[in-house]
Amino acid sequence: MIFSLNACESFLKVDPPQSQIVGELVFQEKNLANAALADIYFDFLDRITSASYFTTYIGLYTGELYYTGSQFSMYEDYINCNVLPSNSTNKGFWSKDYTAIYKANAIIEGMDNSTTIGTADKNWIKGEALFFRAYLHFYLVNLFGDIPYISTTDYTENSKVSRMPVQEVYAHLVADLIAAKELLPENYTSTVERVHINKWVASALLSRVYLYSGQWEKAQSESTSLITNSLFTMETDLSKVFLKESTSIIFSLKSQSSMNASDGTFYIQNSSYISSHAFLLSEYMANAFEPSDQRRSLWIGSLTTTEGNTIYFSSKYKEIPNSTPSKEFSVLLRIEEQYLIRAEARAHLGDITGARQDLNTIRNRAGLGNTNAATLNNLLEAILHERQVEFFLEVAHPFFDMKRMGFADTVLGSIKPGWDATDVLFPIPESEILLNSNLTQNPGY
Amino acid sequence: MKFKLQNPSFFKTGWGLKQAMRILKISLVLVLATCFQVSAKSYAQMVSINAFGVSLEKICMEIHQQTGYNFFYKDDCISAAKKVTVNLQNAPLTDALDACLKGQPISYKITGKTIVLTTKKADNDQQPVKLIKGKISDSKGNPLSGANVLIKGTIRGTIADSEGNYIIEVSEKAILVFSFMGYQKKEVAVGIRNEINVTLQEEIAELKELTFNAGYYNVKEREKTGSIEKVDSKTIAQQPISNPIEALTGRMPGVQITPSQGLAGAGFTVRVRGQNSIAAGNEPLYIIDGVPYDSKSMTTSSVSQTFRGDLSPFSLINPSDIESIEVLKDADATAIYGSRGANGVLLITTKKGKEGKARFNISYNTSAAKITKFHTLLTTEQYIESRKEAYANDGVAEANIKERAVNGTWPADRYTDWQKLLLGNTARINDFQASVSSGNSNTQILLSASYRTETSVVVGDNMDKRGSILAKANHTSTDERFKIALARSYTMQNGALPVYTQSLGYAAVSLQPNAPLPYKEDGSLNFETGFTNPLAEASCKYSHERYSLLSNTVISYQIIPHLEFKANLGYTGTELEDYSAYPDTYRYPASYSDSKYSSVTRNNASRRSWTVEPQINWEQSINKGKLIFLIGSTFESQVNKQLLTSGYGFPSDELLNNLSAASTKYINGDDKKQYKYQALFARLNYNWEGKYIVNITGRRDGSSRFGSNKKYANFGAFGAAWIFSKEPFIKEKLPFISFGKFRGSYGSSGNDQIGDYEFMDTYTISSKDYDGVIGFTPTRLFNPLFAWEVNKKLEFSLEMGLLNDHLQVTTTYFRNMSTNQLVGIPMPATTGFTSLRANLDAKVKNTGLEIQLNTVNFRKKHFNWTTSFNITFPKNELVEFPDLEGSTYANTYVIGKSLNIKKLYHNLGVNPETGIYEFEDYNNDGVISSGNDKKFIIDFSTKFYGGLANHLSYKNWDLDFFFQFSQKTTYNYAVQIYTSGNQSTLTLENRWHKPGDEAYLQRYTTGKNSAAQTAADRLYSSNEAYADASYVRLKNLSIAYTIPESILKRMKCSLYLQGQDLLTFTKYKGPDPEQPGQQIGMIKRVNFGVQFNF
Repeated sequence: MIFSLNACESFLKVDPPQSQIVGELVFQEKNLANAALADIYFDFLDRITSASYFTTYIGLYTGELYYTGSQFSMYEDYINCNVLPSNSTNKGFWSKDYTAIYKANAIIEGMDNSTTIGTADKNWIKGEALFFRAYLHFYLVNLFGDIPYISTTDYTENSKVSRMPVQEVYAHLVADLIAAKELLPENYTSTVERVHINKWVASALLSRVYLYSGQWEKAQSESTSLITNSLFTMETDLSKVFLKESTSIIFSLKSQSSMNASDGTFYIQNSSYISSHAFLLSEYMANAFEPSDQRRSLWIGSLTTTEGNTIYFSSKYKEIPNSTPSKEFSVLLRIEEQYLIRAEARAHLGDITGARQDLNTIRNRAGLGNTNAATLNNLLEAILHERQVEFFLEVAHPFFDMKRMGFADTVLGSIKPGWDATDVLFPIPESEILLNSNLTQNPGY
Repeated sequence: MKFKLQNPSFFKTGWGLKQAMRILKISLVLVLATCFQVSAKSYAQMVSINAFGVSLEKICMEIHQQTGYNFFYKDDCISAAKKVTVNLQNAPLTDALDACLKGQPISYKITGKTIVLTTKKADNDQQPVKLIKGKISDSKGNPLSGANVLIKGTIRGTIADSEGNYIIEVSEKAILVFSFMGYQKKEVAVGIRNEINVTLQEEIAELKELTFNAGYYNVKEREKTGSIEKVDSKTIAQQPISNPIEALTGRMPGVQITPSQGLAGAGFTVRVRGQNSIAAGNEPLYIIDGVPYDSKSMTTSSVSQTFRGDLSPFSLINPSDIESIEVLKDADATAIYGSRGANGVLLITTKKGKEGKARFNISYNTSAAKITKFHTLLTTEQYIESRKEAYANDGVAEANIKERAVNGTWPADRYTDWQKLLLGNTARINDFQASVSSGNSNTQILLSASYRTETSVVVGDNMDKRGSILAKANHTSTDERFKIALARSYTMQNGALPVYTQSLGYAAVSLQPNAPLPYKEDGSLNFETGFTNPLAEASCKYSHERYSLLSNTVISYQIIPHLEFKANLGYTGTELEDYSAYPDTYRYPASYSDSKYSSVTRNNASRRSWTVEPQINWEQSINKGKLIFLIGSTFESQVNKQLLTSGYGFPSDELLNNLSAASTKYINGDDKKQYKYQALFARLNYNWEGKYIVNITGRRDGSSRFGSNKKYANFGAFGAAWIFSKEPFIKEKLPFISFGKFRGSYGSSGNDQIGDYEFMDTYTISSKDYDGVIGFTPTRLFNPLFAWEVNKKLEFSLEMGLLNDHLQVTTTYFRNMSTNQLVGIPMPATTGFTSLRANLDAKVKNTGLEIQLNTVNFRKKHFNWTTSFNITFPKNELVEFPDLEGSTYANTYVIGKSLNIKKLYHNLGVNPETGIYEFEDYNNDGVISSGNDKKFIIDFSTKFYGGLANHLSYKNWDLDFFFQFSQKTTYNYAVQIYTSGNQSTLTLENRWHKPGDEAYLQRYTTGKNSAAQTAADRLYSSNEAYADASYVRLKNLSIAYTIPESILKRMKCSLYLQGQDLLTFTKYKGPDPEQPGQQIGMIKRVNFGVQFNF
């Protein structure tokens, strides 16, 4: 009888599990790498289409929405503008984004090291991952202020990172998006559905980042390149803006097979389909529209309750998720934003006429007359208002606009009783600071 | 034999194998050297011989050399002789010859200087031979058919017939030895008698007679150095149970068994000496007949909502096939299982065939079972009253009440007892068993078959069926050198229950008492508006089908005397197919009236494992002691496969179990996982005159669950026992101590109960896709460096038998320290994950005191009464946890407290003005938030638990009753104000009614008042939702009557009546303190059975 422990070392070798693939193999084959990318897309879809995504929470936080459902305690802290460092939802926003950033970095590193995938495919996949990295950091920086910018998968490094000033983060995002633009192709993968990232998608976000970081000229030229692109034309019929084949769309997330964007589930209220999450539009939001604004009649629905009260709800999306076939996808970037980006950039650059012209394009489409604003300040106020009624309940646009334009405190201070000036930034999750002493807390927490 | 040890780190084991090997070698040399220890005196009449297993021929040569006497014998005479083992110093020649020829069929005669050896004739030629007859019976006068009669000193004998009668031819000088398994031996000198009737006394289950299965070896109760508990087939047979694990409930100190729910097939949680691991598993290692048995359920909660994914593999084991269940607890007993022994080891041994004529055993029993206790709920009148009050409290005018039950839409005089309707069925259990056992001294076989059906207390047609076959064969060669034991068991089981059993339970307590009847007059399901029909949901069925094959072979061969080679070969295969079917008919027909809405989710899983364990056993007497050495190796491999599928849209509900008929099909998971395990183990035991015993065990093993440099680790333990009652000074000074032993042990064992492959860098295939591309997601932050969790165990025990063992007390103190905890080390989210699987420097301590008491209260000819009692006082403590505050466990654990705590709001009672609960604002920020104000800590640890068993027998009657008890705090959901649905009647008396009321419960609310709603929500996570759940339970009562054989010829028949979970004494308000939050909790069973042996 021979006991040979060396022989046993080989006895203990096991085949990898059938449902898993050894990490290093993933980036040696195009289809596998694409699958790793699909996972980020799906993450996005999963989060953006769930009630726990920040669109809804910010809607409650900034008074766009109010809540009548049965899980009040889940949303309470946001409704009261009392988000504490220990808040688990807040922690979720932070950690889910960084998880997706890890995935994007893994793909970027994988593509850099891959020896077997062709250059064109490699560029495309890497470009998409770069876009995601920038997009995720963009939301983190707007929710939390200074944040760690993560560009590696190395956990020994990532567990000791410090916060980077906002402007530096934007510089990294610009670099990522320029790189992505260079790597990505110009065409969409499908002729009708705009559900994958291409050069223009990166460009649209780049234009926004320029605007947010005050690089007006670059913002103007980047948005112009999109406005003049024949791929994108504004839907004149406002009820078609959110349909999957809308020409306004620059990038939307395709719903799961034969489903619709789940925004419908959260916001639509009607007699035959009552949402279990009752997120209703506030009167403040319903009253924000000018009287003849078609968006008021086409994007907002109302019902009279049995008690005789009128309730309002968002009806940008008209379909409930499992009504087949798919009609609506979740829109993340659309051309209307580029007009408003250019209007704002032009206003700052002193091109008042040009700014008014872009603003009026959006207004006229909604059945409104030209703007009266003529000075920079008036124009900025008009643009902020326009953004509020154009982009309500679209991934926190109005909140970010108020903040960067310096109106958050005035606006929210008047409508939210629990508002403090420091509430413009959310707290860095308590556990993050406990685990990484290099991180500091935001003021007021 | 060649030992090759190539891994140098192996030698760092401390008291490991190297040492053991050295002892083995030295001992072999000693044996050979001492075989012929020759006295220097020549031709003396005194002889010195020290021989071990030496042939008689060589002995004769030796005596010849020492004394000069010549031997004279025929070859065939001496070749028939057995090997001789003697130790004589200067013994007279005749004594030496007597000793060497003892038990040999040889006699001697000394003539001058010559010794003549002759073959003995039957008995003695000189003695007259006569026929002796007689009857052998037990103390009750029942004949002992098959009892052995042997002439002492010979191999001649006979066996009693079916009436216990025997006849044998003997001489007057002979002594007859009467024996029968389970009875005390009796010797009777023949003398002048012609008839000898004997009564054999039953062996009383005394400590010294018991042998324990310790896994790789057996040990006598009195000589064990470790902590081992045992439940035998008698105790199991008293309980009408389907899962053998249940039989252990309350019977063993330090072993805590908690049922998950009262459904056939549901599992039990087994904790041996508390929770050791924070994040890795806490399951003991299960071994059936030497083969590891995986206790993990093979289904998932996505398919089996009924069992929440926990369909117990042990419900495939027929309890009647079990001879004994042993639990190994301390380091001494568990270290030989090394990396898997940290949470204790549970050994199940199946019955085997017995020597003697063919014995048939047929039994049938039938049980009825019902839920023991229901909630007391409001009647219709009380319900309407309470709701009206709730609406009034919330400011809703009576005219605006929409609730159908209250506003008159549903009649106020209708009443349905939903608990009775949905959970009030009487479950019927029928169990049929048949077995045959036969054999001679060389070969024994057993064949046993059983069939069992069990219906459920839950509404509907639910049936669980199990059929099993066990075949065992044992064979020993005539020279007793070769042995083989074969065991095969095959079980088939299938069952069905409603998918939504949990929500049926919920509906039973929450449905309005005047809700519509579930069936319309035409017999169809009632889908009235506003009414969720529980019986519609009940039509969704969860079905499961399992096949299990357990196979085990043990072969052994004695290579040379004292040295035995043994191999244990096992194979286990289990297959499961389960599915939940959702016919469209259960849905509200107005919206889903089409079978395209019907769906099914299915799981096909298989588990196959094999194990090979070669071993070498060596036993040798050294001086006054006996040395046992065991060395062995384990090779084990397990493959788990799982395929999860689902289908939607069936043309007809009849086709629901055929996935190909579905219009949309999904594959939700397809996986195959492998686990491999390898080990080298050794045991060295030295027993000095049964007085001083040391036991050293060690194991080095490797598991595929760890990275390449961390696969192997060493474990070991040292145990010692001192049986002080054998010391002369105890015998003289303290004669009332009939048995006394002090033992202790210290050592380590490990835990590898984490998932497979966790050290690997992999991407998992997700079931989710984006635009048609299936996603791969990074599985984890990979860390190839983590290793075993280690559990260091210390134990001291004092075992005493007093007054001739009429009183036996065992007191044990243990301390288990679990370190190197395999948890997810908390990571900042910026790393992409929240944790990294690694060994955390956290420490969990389990200490406890276990007391066992056995008394013989009466021992008379017709009346016996024995009592046994056990109690355990456990204590669990989290000693260390680096960075606890930043980890995901921040809200779960507190250093210095037990792992069984909960952090809760502190309820300050009901505000007399508002009638709403108030909670303590710990940080005084004016806001009650879960992060800052859940600071009230409740410890759910059991303070003590145990059992009290009594056995009484009077003539042919046997009475057993067993109480189980426990002191603890648990979730007390019974008395709370719900915002919808029915309530406990206790709310009526205790609620706040009007301003100024000092009430225990807050005001009734419908949830429309958000302050009251929030307070009601918070109460669930406050101290008030928990209450004392201590109980004493009459777990088992068994009365058996054996019909005297004078009535039934050649047949033994016994009748028995058993009850399980009959009575519970508790202050707890819910149905079952053991299963808080479960509607289908404790189920009482009454069982009647009959058994025939012939």
